[in-house]
Order: sequence, then C-alpha cells, then structure tokens
Amino acid sequence: MTTMRRRKARTWSLLGEVKRKPSAYEAVTAKFHYHFRRDPAPWELDPEMAFNRWYLEHREGSPFNVDDWEGYRDPAKLTYKDYVTLQHERELYVDGLVDRFEAVDHAASYSEGWTDTFKALIVPLRFPVHVLQMASLYVGQMAPSSFITNAAHFQAADEMRRLQRIAYWTQVVANAKDGAIARTETARDPWERAEAWQPLRETLETMLVAYDWGEAFVALNLGVKPAFDAMVNVALRDLARRNEDEFMALLCEEFDRDAARSRAWTTALVRYALERDPTLADVVNGWLDTWAPKAIAAVEAMGVLFEQAPEPVAGEELGEMAREGQREIAGAAGLA
Amino acid sequence: MPALRRSEWYDLARDLNWNLSYVTEDEAFPEVMSNNYGITPNEKWWAWDEPYKVSYREYVHNQYGKDASVYSVNSVIARSRMFEELDPGWKSAIVAHYGAIAVPEYLAGLGESRMGRFGRAAAWRNMALFGTLDETRHGQIQTYFPYTLLDKEPRMDWAHKALHTNEWGAIAARHLFDDMFTANDAVSTAIQLTFTFETGFTNLQFLGMAADAMEVGDLDFGALISSIQTDESRHAQQGEPTVRILVENGYADVAQRLVDHMFWRSWHVFALLTGLSMDYYTPLEHRSHSFKEFMQEWIVKQFLDQFRDFGLEPSWYWESHFLPELDWYHHALHLGVWFWRPTVWWNPDAGVSPAEREWLEEKYPGWNDTFGVYWDTIGDNIRRGEETKTLPETFPMVCNMCQIPVVTPAGFRAGKLESPEPHIHIHEGRQYVFCSEPCKWIFQLNPSRFAGHTSVVDRFLGGEIQPPTIPGALEWMGLSPEEMGQDATNYAWAYEGLEAPGAAAS
Ligand SMILES: [Fe+2]
Ligand SMILES: [Fe+2]
Repeated sequence: MTTMRRRKARTWSLLGEVKRKPSAYEAVTAKFHYHFRRDPAPWELDPEMAFNRWYLEHREGSPFNVDDWEGYRDPAKLTYKDYVTLQHERELYVDGLVDRFEAVDHAASYSEGWTDTFKALIVPLRFPVHVLQMASLYVGQMAPSSFITNAAHFQAADEMRRLQRIAYWTQVVANAKDGAIARTETARDPWERAEAWQPLRETLETMLVAYDWGEAFVALNLGVKPAFDAMVNVALRDLARRNEDEFMALLCEEFDRDAARSRAWTTALVRYALERDPTLADVVNGWLDTWAPKAIAAVEAMGVLFEQAPEPVAGEELGEMAREGQREIAGAAGLA
Repeated sequence: MPALRRSEWYDLARDLNWNLSYVTEDEAFPEVMSNNYGITPNEKWWAWDEPYKVSYREYVHNQYGKDASVYSVNSVIARSRMFEELDPGWKSAIVAHYGAIAVPEYLAGLGESRMGRFGRAAAWRNMALFGTLDETRHGQIQTYFPYTLLDKEPRMDWAHKALHTNEWGAIAARHLFDDMFTANDAVSTAIQLTFTFETGFTNLQFLGMAADAMEVGDLDFGALISSIQTDESRHAQQGEPTVRILVENGYADVAQRLVDHMFWRSWHVFALLTGLSMDYYTPLEHRSHSFKEFMQEWIVKQFLDQFRDFGLEPSWYWESHFLPELDWYHHALHLGVWFWRPTVWWNPDAGVSPAEREWLEEKYPGWNDTFGVYWDTIGDNIRRGEETKTLPETFPMVCNMCQIPVVTPAGFRAGKLESPEPHIHIHEGRQYVFCSEPCKWIFQLNPSRFAGHTSVVDRFLGGEIQPPTIPGALEWMGLSPEEMGQDATNYAWAYEGLEAPGAAAS
C-alpha cells in the first residue's frame, strides 16, 4: 500500500511551503547538514567528545556566522553531475591542447633559459597547489551549509586538476630536456629550502592551522588564493607568453576559469553574510589584516624567479597583480 | 589523448609530502582529526600506496559518463508506470534504504574530506578527494531519485528528512555513521569506513540489493546502486594501505581493534536494513539468495581473507557471537520492527505467507519452531479482527551502543542465547544496557566517546519525550499518522492459502 496523501508534495517537506518549485540543484543540496546547530551537539555521540567540541568551537562558535546559512546559493549552482559535466568538457579542451602541443614537440623548443625558469618556478608549484587543495577541503568539511560545502569541495578538486596538469607537463618537459626535472627533489628541495619559496610555504603552513571555519575560508579564498591565483594564472601566463611558451600560457588561462568560479562563490558568500549582518565586515577585514599582507609578501618573494626568466616579469609588477587580485575580490564582496 | 600514460607522470602528482617547519606536525595533524597511534615521525606514513590509481581527467571523463547513463535511466522510468507496479514489500525496502542511506552517504563525504585534509600522506589525501566527490554524488543521486517519486510515494520525503528526525532508526544510523566517519579521525576513518564498512557491507547493500532489484524489475534502483558501488569499490581502497602502515609499524593490535569495533556495529545496522529487505520485503519469487547466504558470500568469506592477508585475526566474537547471530538476529529484529511498525517510516512487509514460510524454513532450518510460532499467534489475532493485539503499548529496551531495540528474549527463546537478559554495565554511576557482549565491549574500549549519549529510552524515561506515551513518542520521532508504518500488504499474508478470504479489505 502507498502512503495517504495530505497534499500534493511540491518538494521536500523540510523546504516548507514553497511558492516556486525548487530547482534540482536545491533539491539535492538544501538542508543536508542536519548536524549544524543541532541540540545538544552536532554528532550523535557523547556531546562532550572531542569531535563535538571541535565543531562547536570552530563552526558553531566561529564569529563568522549568521542566523541562517541555508539561503546562500553558489552562483554556478553546481550539483555533482553539473560539475563533472562541466569539467569533462574543459578537460576535453585541455586534452586537445596537450595533443596540439605534443604534436609539434613544443617542449623540445624550450630555450635553455626558459627551461631553467620552468624548473625553478613551475615545477615546485605542485606543493603549494596541494596545500590549497587541503585547505579547500577543510573549508568544505566545516561549512555550515551544503551549498557552501559543495562549492569548497569542487574548488579542492579544481586545485587537483591544476596540479595534475602541471605534473603532466613537467614530465613532458623532463622527457624533452632533462630527466632531473621530474624528480621529486627538484620540486621538494626548493619548496623546503629555497629562499624565494619560504614566505609562501610559511603562509600556507600557518593557514592550514587556522581552524576557525570563518577564518579558514577568509584566509584561503579572500587572502591567499586570490594572490596565488594572480601569480600563477595571470603573472605566469604573461611570463610564459613573453617566453614563447604558448602552451603554459593557455593552461594558465584555463586555470583561471576555475579560479573565477571560486571568486564568484566567495564574493556571493561574503555578500550574503554581510547582508544579514553588516558587522561581519569587521570580522572578515580583521582576518584579512593578517592574511592579505602575508600572501602579498609570499608572492613578492617569488619575484626573483619571475625576474630570472629570459624575458622577465618585474617583481613589482607581480606584487601589483597579487594586490589587484585581492582588491578585486574584496571589492566584489562588498568589503572595500 | 595525451601521449604519456598515467603511470609515466602520476607519481609527480602524489609525491607531495614534505616536512613542515613553520607549524608542528601536531598542529597541522592534531590527534582529534588524525590519530597517528604513535607512528611518528610523519615520514613513516609517506609510503602509503593506493592500489587503485586514477587521474583527475580520467575521473571526470568516467564519472560524466556514469552519471549521464544513470540519470537517463531515471528520466525514462519517471515517465513510465514502473514504480506503481512494483511489489509493496519492495517499495518498503527502497523507502527504508533511501532514508537510512542517502544523506549519510553525503556525510561520508565529510569523512572523506577529513582524510583529504588530515590524511598523513599526499597520495592518500588525493584518493580521499575523489572519495569526497564520490560521496557527494551518492548523496545527491540518492536524494534526486526519491525526489522524482515524491508524488507517487510521499514517504520518499524520508530520503531527505530522516536524519533530521529522532525516529529511532535514524538515531541508530546517526550514531553508527558519526562513530564511523562524521566524527572520526582520518586514520580511524580509513580503517573503519573504508576497510571495514565499504569493502564489505556496502557490497551487501549495493550489489546484493542491486541483484534483487534487477530481479524485481526495479531498473531505476538497480542501475543507481550498482553504479554507486563502482565508486565505493574504488575509494574503499584507502583502507588497505592504511592498515598496512599500522601493521608494518607494529600496530596490528590497533588495526584489529578498529576493525572489530566497526565490523560489529555495521553488522547490526545492516542486519536491520539489508536483513529485513532481503528475507522479508523482497518478493519471494525474486529473491536471488537469502540474507545469510549473502552474508556468507560477501562478508564472512571476504573478511576471513582480509584478516589473513593483513596478518589480523578473525574478531574475538566471530565464532562465539557473530556467526550464531546470522541464524537469528535479523529474524528477531524483523519481528520487532513489524510489531512496532508505527515507529518506522516504511511499511514493514510481514513476508510470512505459507510459501514464504516454507522458504524461510528451508534457508533457516528450524525457523518455524523458533520464529514461526510468533507469527502463528499474530496471524490468529489478525484473522480474529484483533489488530490491536498486534500493535505496541510499550517500548522495548534499546541498546546503548547500536541504539537498536534489544531482542535478546527472542534470541533466547530461539535457543541461540543462554539468557534472555540484556548486558548491563555501570560506568561512573550510570547504568547502561547493551544488546550483546560486543556492543558492551565497544563501549568499554572508549567510554568517553559514548558515555554522555542518551538512547531513545533514556530520553523517554528522563522526561524529554512528552507526553510519555506511545503517541507522544511517535510525534517526538517526527512521524505523522500518515507516515507511520503499516503492514505493507494490509495483512494479505494472514489469509493466503486459507479458505475464508474475508480479508485484504481497503
Ligand atoms: Fe558512497
Ligand atoms: Fe563510500
């Protein structure tokens, strides 16, 4: 037997009496985090156990909170299906790009000088990108609504995408030029020890332990990532183009499509929060006072590597791009 | 197609471990989020090697195709009358499944995400990222399908809301899954979620039920859950390398304990979910195997192999408690769930018509004398028009570990237990009730994780449920009168094979 019918159900009962039928995106995203602000504790275990305390302190207890997060929407409105469909298309595009440049043996055409820059600047990028991946996952697992969680988790996947495309091309260049380029140490040694990389590593390592949910989000998506993305997706694009590496330039452009999606959901989230509680601008700006300058200093320290390229990008130019990246997102988020 | 094979460049994308120097390891991988169980320094974890490898580009290309095909099955079927024509017992099985599984799958994504951040090797963190995406898929696809059925079956609402409620089965699911992944550290999650739960029990529910679904003609559900299982079997492989690291560093005992703890808990919840679905709710003519046969095939054999391969032992309760329960535990639960049917969100199918009883007797020799006798009485009451005698007036005891009603009296009367009494344990002045020795053992392993939790019955007795009556409790559980479970076939089973039909009214 089937259940008696009270009313024609337009949607999930938890979404209330809706006037407009929710979209498929909403139907598979809304109110999945039943544990947020759950009484007496998020998880159905001892209310005092360590995980309950962690979430109560870092999520429910974050100063970055509003009365209701469920109204927030990612402007891209991505479900999982949408995400893999979109990235399937984009990866087909990049597959084609790789084919095109492999067919003409592009890596073999690298000059000695550009190969050196590739090795010193591009190869170790795998490490910081991996940290961005880790940090996005933290934001996702701590977020108070699935609309935020999913956007952050997709962002983490985008970082992996960026990392793997760099890894792939590193192997291609190694095959064409010098096998040492593909060794782990070639990436890890500078990351662990080279002077130019240390401010970036310090910024990222310390960002990993910013456990307050709001701070983790602000540090990553408004402080560090906009500066880092400006460095990789914009400055490196220009640098590659000046040094006749059209493949890297196009790849960086492609990376910025993902970054633009991150910027869009980030600014929408900050705007959503500020609309509900304008005093949160002080909270966000307070965190940015710490993280924005750290990120700029980290990018500026990388300037020497940009300057050593045969056709350089000036350190000042690089710093300005990073600052512009941060200003742009802060402005769009209504923080300026 | 890029010229290099994955194996030629893949290591570059996972050999990303480094020594932290601006923060400490303990700060970046705090014990609460990532218990290293004493295996330090972190380099010892860097050897973590996943047996199954996939790149981002392969992942999105594959998953795009998988999602496209499963959603297209759904959209074709949505326009057909397939759902209306399904057997009522089968509908109950899928309504129960969606409520207990859909949102928890999504939440498994939080556990995966935790491993993606706090896993102790980059290769592991990468695999966990795919796991995070997979579970997002499973949460969304398993809410989307029931969403499309809302107008045909309003109970599908439970696919979305079950975990928001205090319905007792939802509490049991939350307690299990929070213990397993949502409130578990990365290392323990790899062993308890992926090694213990996903390599074994998800096979049972996803492949076992998929086989039944295809038999029943529920192409929608069958396509859905078999597609899900292809993801599970990939990301489940995070467990193996994690167990290896523990074992190689001399911590086999830790791995053993984590497995024994979660195996028992998973067994209890899946006896409730899968056991009832397979042996009572699935229409007789479409049952491919009995639940016990599935357990033996998918769980017993596989775990014994796994234990052997990793230098672990069969759990201490294997022979003494687990194997004997295969013969009676889910039968006892079925009786309880059917009797307390207003407390569940699906319509329990008694599944005890004469032909079904014959099948049960064949699969579980002695069933008629042990469990059949209860159904004789219930059937008599139904035929006499005394339905109220088949409905509850009180609540059963509930286990303080698995949160499932204690069914030891039925086990005792079936001759499977030495005593009908539950296991009582006093901890810091509070009395706890457990359904079994292993449930008590799990509590004692780590009391601070569980001690402050209160079961439905604790809350009832503590005055949290008002009024303290059956209707009060049902309301507290979030069950409206329309949603409370009823016999799935309106007692048709009680009249099957009898001369005087009189029944099956309405
Ligand atoms: Fe799953
Ligand atoms: Fe899973």
